Amino acid sequence: MQDRIRNFSIIAHIDHGKSTLADRLIEFCGGLSAREMESQVLDSMDLERERGITIKAQSVTLQYKALNGEVYELNLIDTPGHVDFSYEVSRSLTACEGALLVVDAAQGVQAQSVANCYTAAELNLEILPVLNKIDLPAADPERVSKEIEDIIGVPASNALRVSAKTGAGIRELLEAIVAQIPPPKGQADGPLKALIVDSWFDTYLGTVVLVRVVDGVLNKGARIRMMATGRDYDVEQAGIFTPKRQAVSQLATGEVGYVIAGIKDVKGARVGDTITEARRPAATALPGFKEIKPRVFAGLYPIEAGDYDAFREALDKLKLNDASLYFEPETSEALGFGFRCGFLGMLHMEIIQERLEREYNLNLITTAPTVVYEVVTNKGESLRVDNPARLPDPGQIREIREPIISCNVLVPQEYLGPVMQLCIEKRGVQVDLRFLGRQAMLSYELPLNEVVLDFFDRLKSLSRGYASFEYEFLAFRAADLVRVDVLINGERVDALSVIVHRLQSQYRGRELVRRMRELIPRQMFDVAIQAAIGAHVIARETVKALRKNVTAKCYGGDVSRKRKLLERQKEGKKRMKQLGSVEIPQEAFLAVLKVEK
Amino acid sequence: MTGTIPLSLYVHLPWCLHKCPYCDFHSLAHTAAAMPERDYVRALLRDLEGMAPVLAGRPLASVFFGGGTPSLFSAGAIADVLAAALRIGTLATDCEITLEANPGAIEAGRFRAFREAGINRLSIGVQSFNDRHLARLGRIHTGADAHRALSRAAAAGFRSFNIDLMYGLPDQTVEEAARDMEEALAASPAHLSLYELTIEPHTAFAHDPPPLPAESVRGGIEACVQELAGGAGLRRYEISAYAKEGFRCRHNLNYWQFGDYIGIGSGAHAKLTAAAGTWREARTRDVQAYLRDPYHDVHRRFVHGDELLWEFLLNGLRLTDGFAAEDFCIRTGLSYASLRERLRTAAEGGLVSLASNRVRATPHGLRFLDSILAPLVPDAQAEG
Repeated sequence: MQDRIRNFSIIAHIDHGKSTLADRLIEFCGGLSAREMESQVLDSMDLERERGITIKAQSVTLQYKALNGEVYELNLIDTPGHVDFSYEVSRSLTACEGALLVVDAAQGVQAQSVANCYTAAELNLEILPVLNKIDLPAADPERVSKEIEDIIGVPASNALRVSAKTGAGIRELLEAIVAQIPPPKGQADGPLKALIVDSWFDTYLGTVVLVRVVDGVLNKGARIRMMATGRDYDVEQAGIFTPKRQAVSQLATGEVGYVIAGIKDVKGARVGDTITEARRPAATALPGFKEIKPRVFAGLYPIEAGDYDAFREALDKLKLNDASLYFEPETSEALGFGFRCGFLGMLHMEIIQERLEREYNLNLITTAPTVVYEVVTNKGESLRVDNPARLPDPGQIREIREPIISCNVLVPQEYLGPVMQLCIEKRGVQVDLRFLGRQAMLSYELPLNEVVLDFFDRLKSLSRGYASFEYEFLAFRAADLVRVDVLINGERVDALSVIVHRLQSQYRGRELVRRMRELIPRQMFDVAIQAAIGAHVIARETVKALRKNVTAKCYGGDVSRKRKLLERQKEGKKRMKQLGSVEIPQEAFLAVLKVEK
Repeated sequence: MTGTIPLSLYVHLPWCLHKCPYCDFHSLAHTAAAMPERDYVRALLRDLEGMAPVLAGRPLASVFFGGGTPSLFSAGAIADVLAAALRIGTLATDCEITLEANPGAIEAGRFRAFREAGINRLSIGVQSFNDRHLARLGRIHTGADAHRALSRAAAAGFRSFNIDLMYGLPDQTVEEAARDMEEALAASPAHLSLYELTIEPHTAFAHDPPPLPAESVRGGIEACVQELAGGAGLRRYEISAYAKEGFRCRHNLNYWQFGDYIGIGSGAHAKLTAAAGTWREARTRDVQAYLRDPYHDVHRRFVHGDELLWEFLLNGLRLTDGFAAEDFCIRTGLSYASLRERLRTAAEGGLVSLASNRVRATPHGLRFLDSILAPLVPDAQAEG
């Protein structure tokens, strides 16, 4: 049986058609009837579907009857397709023996796919290049094959050509999977070793654990042990996704499936841990995954103070399915009680924010995202600062170190100039530049705080969406950084402080107060907005007072009308945060981000 | 409790010759003879008869014929309504009886006839003496018409009359506004209503906004007209109302002091207090339905607690002298402590003063009344 199992993932850039291809494979193998075939089955969260990206890994088990007459079990393990989630990609790949590198036959190779392919190669996976969307008039399979060879270094002259949309080439693809991806190795009779690829909390089922059985078998009813925690559980249910959930009596060596074992929360089934049998435990665990660290931080505050408890509960619930989400209570003079949250990157942050607002009906103010700084004080202490307002007094600081990333930008050559300019403006240091056919691969070392600002948006806009980008954390490096504070009527607003490079501080300060002036509505008195470094004011703007705000006429029949009018004013105020006597709209707290050149 | 709350009567005559683009009042444009005066007066009288229980034992402190353009009605019609008020209820000995008049809809002799019908105060909707501005405001009269109407009012023997004047008109300069004021003051009005032109929602102006003077110019105009009014002995006593000593408009003061009022006529509003509490009611705006039955589809709602408090403030804070704590308690049945609590933020912000058991908006607060009132709007609740 084991030699008829094929475990694989699909590596693809957003929009290159991964989900549609997965759907076609499921359809071809009869995993779902046409009626059940809801488009893009694997992207199960609404948000994933809306954004066309996959956030959480899932799997689907397919029965494929090959041309040689044998029936193969194909386990497709989904991977996220965005730069923030590269960690989860490596997790999914660890459970596989092969990967389909899906490239849009018109658009060509994108940076994220390159990075993920390197990961797959490091894990010794068999990589099958697949050119998708060959039905498009703009498709250029020859050129893109060449690009795959040039950029990724994988032979691609025989790359499979498919159209997930029309179904062309799907049979050939399935045959190639069977023929080229090796079956899983592993000791069928050895002690159980199953790798936890993912785990999530389901309201009805409790914790669901996605596993890849490496050695031995995992039986329903067995007593299992989590090797990291040493805790034992009884397997209540084992099964596979077809993609419908289907219980089985056992998961055999090499198989991918789920386990439900009365585990209270996802902390009980840590991703990367090894499951073994309590009766006959394995001597050593499988190599796990490196601990994941949030890199981008922001303060999230409920607009209504009364929502604080609901907010905390919502974060707890999200955390159940998202081990990479970090949060701890934080108090801001300006915004009251909230949480400092840590994210993998900007997209991760946006997704969490949207889920909190949409699924939990919370109205939140999010401060501008920041990175973690390492601060060395004069006393030689080393501090980690994830909130600019908490930066010690400049007099106490010996050195500030900022996180540097190493990144690759893949861009069509005609946009190379503007992209290089952007990288220079963002204090980037060029490490490498290679011309690969029509594209260029730029390697830079960039301060992460410049990237969280607006790098990605600007990269996309100045390359008309063609540039792609991937990065990984490199090191902390000392830099001449200062904190720019914003003062409103003389009072520092802690939630508006930013840490920037000294050379950019003047410009950023000016832009910041200019944006604030545009966003803060006129009030009953003048509002002075200042930017300052320490006690030194570097920019100032004034929002002139309203002349008046009173209705000229009010007589006997006007009460309901006036009430409606003033109710609207009151509603408007609800979206404002009161700082002393000044009302500040929510957008102002994110304005720090939108400083444009 | 009701014994100490003054009662007024408002009579709504909803017709106008033309709907002005800034107007958000209930009014109907009509053509000359199309106005069903006799039928409407008959309906008004039936309406008033239905209010007999409210009128019992409470003399009317004031009567106000508003609109619309009430001066389109004949003096005989006005006399009929006043006669009915006297038959069904009583009028206070010094009852103020006002009629709104439009300078464009008044012929010689009409004012005298109104006076003989019992009207003792006129409110004349001059708005401006400048023909260019009048045209821009969509008024049907000219500056000459306005002067003529004012001299006819004086000739008819009205000592107490009000001039409505608007300022901050499209393209208006400070000089033009001053000129309007001087022409108005030359008629020696005992009362002035000075309105800054504001663009109200659901009006023609809201749809197609006119070019208002720059903000600094509007500020200059306001300072100028206020100074000229003061110089002529007209003291400001409400956001937009100025009067000589003894000539404040009793009827409007009753609104602002949260007195009771009956409202008859299509689209008229009333606010009344009885042992059961305070309520507001409104007559149907459908004139045909009103003619058939004045009590068709009367909208009535009781006002309690926070809503009552808020409505009191909406009115009371408009007065430059504010109101006495005692009057608040009598007219709402609420405690002064609850009011002080609600006004704490505004008081700390220097918008209202709560000194010596008197509540009033400070000069700063008078400019920003909406900012005081908006945060205090009670959350929506089921209507009673």
